Amino acid sequence: MPRLRIQIRDLSKTFREGGREVPAVSRVSLDILDKEFVALVGPSGCGKSTILNMIGGLIAPSAGQMLIDGAPVRDVPRQVGYVFQKDTVFPWRTVTRNIALGLEYRGVTGPEQGRRVGEAIRLAGLAGFEEAFPATLSGGMRQRVALMRTLIVEPEILLMDEPFGALDTHTKLNLHAELLALWEAKHQTVVFVTHDLSEAITLADRIVVLTRRPGRVKMIHEVKLPRPRDVIKLRESDEYAQQYSQIWHVLGEEFAGHAV
Amino acid sequence: MSEKLKINFWRLAILVVGVGAWEWLTGIKAVSKIPGLYFIDPFFISRPSKIVERFFYLNSDEVRLTLWQMLLSTVESTIIGFLVGVSTGFAAGLVLGRNDRLARIFEPYIIAFNSLPRIALVPLVTMIFGFGLLAKVVLAWLIVFFIVFFNTFQGARGVDPDLIHSARFLGATEGQIMRTVIIPSALAWTFASLTPSISFALIGVVIGEFIGGESGGGIGYLIIASLGTLNSADMMVALIVLAITGIVMALGIKQVEMRLLRWRPEYQQR
Repeated sequence: MPRLRIQIRDLSKTFREGGREVPAVSRVSLDILDKEFVALVGPSGCGKSTILNMIGGLIAPSAGQMLIDGAPVRDVPRQVGYVFQKDTVFPWRTVTRNIALGLEYRGVTGPEQGRRVGEAIRLAGLAGFEEAFPATLSGGMRQRVALMRTLIVEPEILLMDEPFGALDTHTKLNLHAELLALWEAKHQTVVFVTHDLSEAITLADRIVVLTRRPGRVKMIHEVKLPRPRDVIKLRESDEYAQQYSQIWHVLGEEFAGHAV
Repeated sequence: MSEKLKINFWRLAILVVGVGAWEWLTGIKAVSKIPGLYFIDPFFISRPSKIVERFFYLNSDEVRLTLWQMLLSTVESTIIGFLVGVSTGFAAGLVLGRNDRLARIFEPYIIAFNSLPRIALVPLVTMIFGFGLLAKVVLAWLIVFFIVFFNTFQGARGVDPDLIHSARFLGATEGQIMRTVIIPSALAWTFASLTPSISFALIGVVIGEFIGGESGGGIGYLIIASLGTLNSADMMVALIVLAITGIVMALGIKQVEMRLLRWRPEYQQR
């Protein structure tokens, strides 16, 4: 039995909006194991990003507990890396200097830094763009930079908040394949937030379906698809279709009830 | 003819016609033989040929203070005032931009001081700092400081919180966040204020020279001295030199800005 990495106990979060209390997350409990790839899916505004931000220590829970390796989360935990939905590549730094950031912060300099950054650039297929500024790159390339910048400091836990949400389908599939390859190599514990069910099935071991706001756990689904996965072929398989319709049935209820 | 060549041709044409007309119209009499009745009186706006003559005279050793020395004095004060204004304005903007309480405490004072026309402070600055270089530098600084301060303040406030968070996730300390996120973000705003700042620094210095007299020197002194002697040719020399100085300094700053902001999309592929 792999050890417990993240424990979420009766977690609730209420935001104040102009004197009104708006519940975002309501009594969520979830255990995430070491080396597990978990996807949080749900309709927009269901609080999935809020949960992720509480794991990352960016916001404090209103009630309940959030533990990483048994210790309550305060501030930003050392072992966690975070890939944002928004483009957070520093526009004033070149690709190389963006990827080197984490090493720079940790005092890793000189040839050691150069070697590791070079390796990351090669892995991400960014060779030839070392000295390019982000403004000249496509959205997919910028997200690759953001991903490698996070992975280069070798976080044990990787939080991803709809990192590929703004990309076209083709680029998205490529990045799925790359992310899976990188994950197979290091087996980080991943919590991946998305509203795209196909993305969740392609990547995750377990899918946590959340209800509409305030988010509660509606269903936890084990994705029984063998690894390593081929992101293209996977989608043609019967197992994929079967899993998709099972979860979609449950998720669809949440989407259907959503007041537009 | 290419578009660029055409534009340059017309620019040159306007200059030649303008200067030509100036020279010609100030040379012909409105009513012949009656002295002093010019079509356009060169007493007020001088003549190009006279201006050129005075330009060389003012640069010769026949004058106590050459035009070149006056120009150096003006440029020196402007650059010092600019540098002091930019650095202090930047530092203050950064500190108040990242400290909400401090910003709120200082807000009424900053607004009050900024509402005051800077020109009104000239006599006071002269009283305190005298007529020399220091007074001119202080005047330039008073103007530049606020321009840079407000821009940097905006920039430091507007730093994307997700950039700060991502730095924190990468293991940055507070000092490293300041150095690698907040300062570069704010600098983009600061740079946008540099070109107007150098022009305003020059304004401050020239005003200081109006009051400062000979001990302050500078082009502003030449202007006021020419007013005293009703010498429009010298005044024109001073104005033309000032215009050229302003252009050269603004272009210089633009070059620096383009180098430092080359990561911005609008500065790419140039």
